[in-house]
Amino acid sequence: MNKKLTTLAAVAALAVAGLAADASAKDFAKGSKVRIATEGAYAPWNFTDSAGKLVGFEVDLAADLCKRMEVECEVVQQAWEGIIPALQAGKYDVIMAGMSITAKRMEVIDFSRAYAQTPAVFVVTDKSPSAGFKVGVERVTLEDVDAGEKAALDAIVKEFKGKTVGVQISTTHENFLREFLGKDVTIKTYDTQENLDLDLQAGRVDAALASASYWVPLLATDKGKGMVMVGPGMTGGPFGNGVGAGIRKDDKSLSAMFDKAINAAIADGTAKKLAVQWFGFDASAK
Amino acid sequence: MGEWTSLLAWGDAGWGDEMVRGALWTLVLATVAFSLGVAIGSIGAAAKLSHLPPMRWLGQGYTTVIRGVPDLLVIYLLFFGGNQAVMAIARGLFGYDGYIELNAFTIGAIALGTVSGAYSTEVIRGAVLAVPRGQIEAARACGMSGWLLFRRIMVPQVARYALPGLGNVWQLTLKDTSLISIVGLVEIMRSASIASGSTQKPFIFYLCAAVLYLVLTAGSNRVFGLAELWANRGVRRA
Repeated sequence: MNKKLTTLAAVAALAVAGLAADASAKDFAKGSKVRIATEGAYAPWNFTDSAGKLVGFEVDLAADLCKRMEVECEVVQQAWEGIIPALQAGKYDVIMAGMSITAKRMEVIDFSRAYAQTPAVFVVTDKSPSAGFKVGVERVTLEDVDAGEKAALDAIVKEFKGKTVGVQISTTHENFLREFLGKDVTIKTYDTQENLDLDLQAGRVDAALASASYWVPLLATDKGKGMVMVGPGMTGGPFGNGVGAGIRKDDKSLSAMFDKAINAAIADGTAKKLAVQWFGFDASAK
Repeated sequence: MGEWTSLLAWGDAGWGDEMVRGALWTLVLATVAFSLGVAIGSIGAAAKLSHLPPMRWLGQGYTTVIRGVPDLLVIYLLFFGGNQAVMAIARGLFGYDGYIELNAFTIGAIALGTVSGAYSTEVIRGAVLAVPRGQIEAARACGMSGWLLFRRIMVPQVARYALPGLGNVWQLTLKDTSLISIVGLVEIMRSASIASGSTQKPFIFYLCAAVLYLVLTAGSNRVFGLAELWANRGVRRA
């Protein structure tokens, strides 16, 4: 009896789902109304001030992008759970909520090009011989490496050759070390980032690699005393594809508009300016 | 302590008013959902105790399915499924293909009412069965009509037997309102998660949420205690 009823319920649920097609494609152009959803609880990406107003990097960036696209925007708040289903149901047209572009999500929605990417950075102690280590460029993107970036990568290998580099286990940062420096450095993995920090300060590792979004706040506190970031910020390749705007697969015209506007915001430095303002470092995509 | 008072301050400078507004939404939603649940539960109990087999099957099916699947699933099904169903009907019948938003409060009340209704059904059914059969026969023998029997004999005693169980269902419903936070209703949990995500002080706000839930449950315990006293007014305590 129970089994039969459960089957019946499942069939009924499927019937409801089948009855309802996804929101149909719309044509977006200048002057269109675009609704952008954000979580409003993920500082400093997007959050709510105590007066109930949405603020943050993505809220400011959205305003800038909308001005460039010449569309009328409304930013709405949506809990993270259910943010993708509600996009597909047509509750809003775009998600800008610190959402990383992943293959799994690409199966159900499209993304604009990345607008943000927190770079990976090496940290050493201020007494280390590498404390002043710099390369010619500030940022290295690991896809389509150009001559300057190739030189930067070679400089990193040369700087840390024969040394011990610590990294948290099973992270994209460990993957990067194995792929690019595996032959030249000793890699020491840690179960937690805190243990790695302690060993770096105790001198058991010569350098540590993690995301700038972790280092910048840490180095501003007492716990990060005597630690300095060195070398370029690295993105792309094993570090993933960054954070982009989620858009329904049918809305190709809207994706194209976002790509164009994000390119322009990156090219004229607006994205960088907003990122420095909200994150304290350049978390914009390149 | 200074941090606490400034974070939980009233007005635009702090989160105190947002948290209290969340608590009011929780209370209103729980009240509406619980009342709906008791109404559904009365019908469900009548169906399960019916002489007609199809009614019994319906009642049995309802309580089995709803009590057997997670509450969250019922909410998702109603929220996303309900929305799409309404839109599909609008498109099919009226050719309207815009987006129709179902109000989060309405969906939440219907979803939680459906869930708590299933539990209320069982509580009320048990209470009805607890009324001694002999009293019903005695009432008939005195010449009471069906309606009078229901009003004078059944309702006061069913209420008495059902109140402790319904108090339990109320507490479950009150806490289940936290699930509605995912569909966008800003109740206690959602206010706490917005505030903690925005200030990065989760401890303060989740602790504050716990206190608010405790205030609501402790207060409602008292209300149910008084209601039980009232329902037992004709019964001598052993």
